[in-house]
Amino acid sequence: MAHIPDGFLSAPVILGSSAASAAMLALAARRSRDTLQERQAPLLGATTAFVFAAQMFNFPLAAGTSAHLLGGVLVAVLAGPWAAMLVVFAVVLVQALLFQDGGIAALGANTLNLAVLGAGGGWLVYRWAFAMLGAGARRRLAAVALAAFVSALLTGAGVALELSLSGVVPLRSALLVLLGSHALIGLAEAALTVGILAAVLRTRPELTPAADLPGPAARRWALGVGALALALAVGAGHFASGAPDALEVAAARFGLHEAPALLATPFAGYEAAVGGPWLVGTVGVAAVFACGWLALRLLARR
Amino acid sequence: MGFHHLDRYADAGGPLARLAPAARVLGVVVIALGAALLPPGAWPQMTALLLLVLLLAVLARVPLAVFAARAAAPLALLALASAAVLVLAPGEPLARLGPLALTDAGLQRFTAALGRGAAAVGAGVLLVSTTRFPELVEALRELRLPAAVTAALGLAYRYLYLLTDELERLRRAAASRNARRGSAPRRRLLVALAASAFTRSYARSERVHRAMLARGYTGALASLRPHPLERGSALAVAGLAGVVAGIVAWARL
Amino acid sequence: MTQPQAAQADALLEVHDLAYRYPGAGWALEGVSFALRPGERVAVLGPNGAGKSTLLLHLNGLLLPERGRVLVQGLEVTEHTARRVRAAVGLVFQDADDQLFLPSLLEDVAFGPLNEGRTPAEATALARAALAELGLEAFAERAAHHLSGGERRLAALATVLVMRPRLLVLDEPTGALDARARQRVVHLLQRRSETLLLATHDLEAAAALCERALLIDEHRLVADLPLPTLLADRERLQRHGLLAPL
Repeated sequence: MAHIPDGFLSAPVILGSSAASAAMLALAARRSRDTLQERQAPLLGATTAFVFAAQMFNFPLAAGTSAHLLGGVLVAVLAGPWAAMLVVFAVVLVQALLFQDGGIAALGANTLNLAVLGAGGGWLVYRWAFAMLGAGARRRLAAVALAAFVSALLTGAGVALELSLSGVVPLRSALLVLLGSHALIGLAEAALTVGILAAVLRTRPELTPAADLPGPAARRWALGVGALALALAVGAGHFASGAPDALEVAAARFGLHEAPALLATPFAGYEAAVGGPWLVGTVGVAAVFACGWLALRLLARR
Repeated sequence: MGFHHLDRYADAGGPLARLAPAARVLGVVVIALGAALLPPGAWPQMTALLLLVLLLAVLARVPLAVFAARAAAPLALLALASAAVLVLAPGEPLARLGPLALTDAGLQRFTAALGRGAAAVGAGVLLVSTTRFPELVEALRELRLPAAVTAALGLAYRYLYLLTDELERLRRAAASRNARRGSAPRRRLLVALAASAFTRSYARSERVHRAMLARGYTGALASLRPHPLERGSALAVAGLAGVVAGIVAWARL
Repeated sequence: MTQPQAAQADALLEVHDLAYRYPGAGWALEGVSFALRPGERVAVLGPNGAGKSTLLLHLNGLLLPERGRVLVQGLEVTEHTARRVRAAVGLVFQDADDQLFLPSLLEDVAFGPLNEGRTPAEATALARAALAELGLEAFAERAAHHLSGGERRLAALATVLVMRPRLLVLDEPTGALDARARQRVVHLLQRRSETLLLATHDLEAAAALCERALLIDEHRLVADLPLPTLLADRERLQRHGLLAPL
């Protein structure tokens, strides 16, 4: 599930996630106003309406399942990351209040997952990938595809983290289920985002954000970030396989009294089957980056 | 596809609908937070909270059958999400479904999530039943949400209506041209419709921007404040907060 | 082509040698000059693409001239004076839905006064009065999509009239309206006393409302003459795409 309903999250998690997302939204409001100025209201309004409308479309996947567009990365590419965070928040807010899709106490967490991690984080991935690939229409689309896919994973990871910190399910199981389901959502998101963006840029080429073409400095920065991220991921994987989760230790220390009992008990079936979902999770994400990078280079030949 | 959903349910009268919209929104937040603060296993207090919500439904003059119908879908989703907890939470197994084990901790968590979530869902249904979308936006403005967000939502109301109208026309035109069935053509159609939705929204936003400038807009969307949060409504919310705080305190003792 | 008019002491609007080019495109307007006195009612006529809408957008500073000047009540229209100009010049666009963007008509009509600095109470009162003047007071709390096309056109008019502009500029006020709605709009405009400039294809409406015509074709002002004279000259109307018998 992308939207956490009420009833699951514990008070500390609600407080923490609400504070974090409130801070990010305040920053986004200020930055967005600086960039868009008095164009802001009509543009954000139109984009919010678009996201609402787009989320009503059901996009058929395989075998009778369907998904709908989340839209965070699409808006971020076309209107900037701050605008995207505000728009996604507006949508999540109305969904919670008017449609009971996502909880109200859980609003902070859902905003964090969808707007900050999904749209904001996804945009960062887009900038990184675009810097790595270099300028070009097809390369941009490839970068967008990766960003949309990863944004869904980031959202899923956020949900898993919040649920496990609330003592609802162990982190390992949560990550497995959520990263798995969100990987599927991510595929749909990538396909839809690229399809829509390509169509939009065909008919309105001037909507391509002109100022964001990556230069050589950006490329060096991106390579550095990529190498660091890979090193961290592999290192974390090694560490996680042996020692207990840093997260579990922290949870125990914070006195979530149920948490140590349930988190310390490995869920035997799952662990045996996959050799530690936490390890798989981190290495998997790193692998996604690596494979994606290779695939992009192959596909995005000018 | 017509999007009349935003005001679909706002038909209830009664004292609840007469409160300032900001008070109604605060009331929902108070109940949701109170529910979140209830420790698992606090069954009598959870029941008390649910009864409180039902009492509010009576005050809002929402017939209980209508209330139940509107709460059904979100409650079903909540139950589905909670069901996942049934099998994922480790603990003493009570029953087995193939490789999955239904645990006692899982059962406890399932009912806790359901109980707490239901109170929040109920409060949300009450909000929807007594509040039109423009009032909701006004409430958010009163509650000092970022101006960018409330301005966007205020404008989105009309945009959405116009957009869904246009898209419905496009969809019908495309469908009448395309007799082909199957997922792939449908996917292409959806992508084309979505792209069209974006470009139309964007174009309209440019024209609306001009119209706003022509009427003196300088960047701040001022409000008429038709129903500000007055003392009566504020007292009502304070009263509700007191009751909910009492229930939570009772549970934590 | 008439002689460019010298600055007139009592002119409400003066346009001197106005030229404009959209970014990346050719000239949309070239060397347009004319002046309006208070109380005049002028029709801007011309085929599609001639530059009528572009001209209108210059009159309240939404577009700024590439060459030439626009003066409203003696004040040159620049980015710094645009706000003051917009208090004097009310522009009503072609699409009513672009101007009715708030959740209720009351908010739409009160939008202008609020931007002018009125208090919410004052703005509400002004808005209700403006809606009542146009017979729309019953729709005050409703959203624009509950109104018919003609009613929406009147509501869009209300959003501008409430600001009491000295010059009322209208882009196709009778466009896409059925006969009754068209009649309602024209009769309303006939009763108004503002200086009027309207761009239109509707020759009958122009005749009912205006005494003077500015003929724009191929980005230039090709004629500035009394409207009855122009309407009597069928050959000229046909030459400039205003009349095309089937």
